[in-house]
Amino acid sequence: MMADDDVPSDSSTLVIIVDTNPNQRYITEDPKVLTGCLDAVIAFANSHLMQKSRNELAVIGCHFHKSEYLYPSPGKPLDVRQIDGQYELFALVEKTIKMRLVNLIKSQPQEEKPGESLLAGALAMGLCFISRIRRESSPALKISSRILIVTGSSDTAAQYINYMNVFFTAQKQQVIIDVCSLDKHLSLLQQGCDITGGLYLKVPSLEGLLQYLLWVFLPEGSERRQLVLPGRGRVDYRAACFCHRELLTIGYVCSVCLSVFCKFSPICTTCHTVFKIAGPLQIKPKKKKMKV
Amino acid sequence: MADDEQDSKEYRWETGYEKTWEAIKEDEDGLVEGLVAEFAQKAARKAVTQRRGPVRLGMMRHLLVAIDCSEAMSSQDLKPTRFLCTLKLLEKFIEEFFDQNPLSQLGLVTMKNKRAEKISELSGNVRKHIKVVQGLSNMTLTGEPSLQNTLELAGRVLKPLPAHASRELLVLFASLTTCDPGDISVSVQNLKNEGIRCSVIGLAAEVRICKKLCQDTGGEYGVVLDDVHYRSLLLEQTSPPPRARALDAGLVKMGFPHSAPPSTQSDTEPPITVCMCHIEEGEGVGGEGHLCPQCRSKYCSLPAQCRTCGLTLASAPHLARSYHHLFPVDPFEELKNEGQSQFCFACVRSFTDTDKQIYRCNRCLEHYCWECESMISTTLHVCPGCASRPHLYQRLPDTA
Ligand SMILES: [Zn+2]
Ligand SMILES: [Zn+2]
Ligand SMILES: [Zn+2]
Ligand SMILES: [Zn+2]
Ligand SMILES: [Zn+2]
Ligand SMILES: [Zn+2]
Repeated sequence: MMADDDVPSDSSTLVIIVDTNPNQRYITEDPKVLTGCLDAVIAFANSHLMQKSRNELAVIGCHFHKSEYLYPSPGKPLDVRQIDGQYELFALVEKTIKMRLVNLIKSQPQEEKPGESLLAGALAMGLCFISRIRRESSPALKISSRILIVTGSSDTAAQYINYMNVFFTAQKQQVIIDVCSLDKHLSLLQQGCDITGGLYLKVPSLEGLLQYLLWVFLPEGSERRQLVLPGRGRVDYRAACFCHRELLTIGYVCSVCLSVFCKFSPICTTCHTVFKIAGPLQIKPKKKKMKV
Repeated sequence: MADDEQDSKEYRWETGYEKTWEAIKEDEDGLVEGLVAEFAQKAARKAVTQRRGPVRLGMMRHLLVAIDCSEAMSSQDLKPTRFLCTLKLLEKFIEEFFDQNPLSQLGLVTMKNKRAEKISELSGNVRKHIKVVQGLSNMTLTGEPSLQNTLELAGRVLKPLPAHASRELLVLFASLTTCDPGDISVSVQNLKNEGIRCSVIGLAAEVRICKKLCQDTGGEYGVVLDDVHYRSLLLEQTSPPPRARALDAGLVKMGFPHSAPPSTQSDTEPPITVCMCHIEEGEGVGGEGHLCPQCRSKYCSLPAQCRTCGLTLASAPHLARSYHHLFPVDPFEELKNEGQSQFCFACVRSFTDTDKQIYRCNRCLEHYCWECESMISTTLHVCPGCASRPHLYQRLPDTA
């Protein structure tokens, strides 16, 4: 069962997406900082598991050549609670994440130059994991679910379609998307937070990362109402034209495929439809007498 | 009615979980669980194949839904009555419709006592339509419906709309007769000439004139077998119809209101603070809103068509919601589970003996469980494997 916004849940599922791309500025400046960030993420993940005994966790590493689950280990049963005591579980989480991250980094192609981090793909994996947890849990259990992205990359319009599909799926399935940016302002991901009711935070410094994570992102949706958290702010929803990726207040939209262009052209470059009419269509306003 | 019976039998195996469960309860072996999984899987597959349409679709739809409110709707062969069942399904339909057709408009019409009456104007306001539907539940169901009057009304409402938008009528029809003032075939011909697509969902039995109407105008005709079938017939109408040839493709000028307040320096006129969408109801004064970038009229929700200058107003996500129709995921290949992969790439579930089939994306070659395959093809529209690989992910079209 999906948890209501206002009612506290019985269990909460958290998927953390860690951007491990070596081309993030904070890593190129000092590679050791990644370890610090990873430790903060692991401590945060364990705090989540500590909150409720039924809480679930997944951590996905997003590298430039692919994304992979760092926790849980594929093929292993989800429930490792038979391990004696919490500390063993926490140690297992930490060990699994670090070991699998080493393997992920080792698998990166040597010849290729790192490109952008494909966070939309990792988000799609996270949504599938959350659906699985919901399927496998007892229908009476109220489960709240969210995905937290921790990244120092910038978001580019190239992944726009994947991002939007993922955001709308999350919205439909009541999955919150939270974003913790370590470096740049991420306007696309901020839209995702806004669409799904999640929080967007650009941390002022990496020093206190764990504190920011715990303070802003640890409370689940239903608990956030009572807390003073960073405001959503205004989100820019102007459309970007497909031709120059520039934000528009007035544009031309192909009625077949809904591609956006900044200028009128006789053929749609996306779906190759040839427009019969010489000029852009003008929709006449309906004549209406208004009583004021 | 022998045909119907056969249909309903076939149908029982394909509706999914609840019905399938009934059908295999007799199985005494320990295989029940696997069978349930298999049947549910088949049902899910079928739903997907049905939903997959051509890629080029007309996305700005204008749809009138006509609801039979005649005596025939009070029958209890659908629970609790045909009418109440219809209203309940309509609520779901309206939500789904706007989900799949974000820049579209919908209007509602009632048919009773030989009259057709518009009860909700064409608009993109989901909440308003749902409220109207909920308000119908106490209506007295009387007299006979008039299909012809409904067609005439639909023609009057839909004709003035621009040709680049699809114009459609959907009739939910329980009566077996129609009480018409003239020759209905003339009305059918008129709609056909205008390119207005008419579909009918019959609640009782096949009616010849309904079938002819749908055939002539390129719509779909279906007669419901039970409430589950009704639901699926209705929801099928939410996927955009294949683009009819008569429609003119066009570039539509559109406004994307910026949520930031307009600069105050150069403006001498004070901004209009009454929102145009609620002006008739006398509400909507003050507060936040979206300003038409062309004429500064204010609207409290998007999408909207500016009532002053005619500009279509939307936000970027309204358009993006439909992009998956344009960039669909290639269907995955169904493979016999022969241990090719130990777990599902997307949800890391281990494959077991109950997974008779697994699915492979032929681009990224990752394997998926049937639950993830179904979620990816029906909701997500993103292959997680492809989307996390630099050479395979769905890029925005390259700049020319
Ligand atoms: Zn442009
Ligand atoms: Zn186009
Ligand atoms: Zn309003
Ligand atoms: Zn205007
Ligand atoms: Zn799966
Ligand atoms: Zn793929």
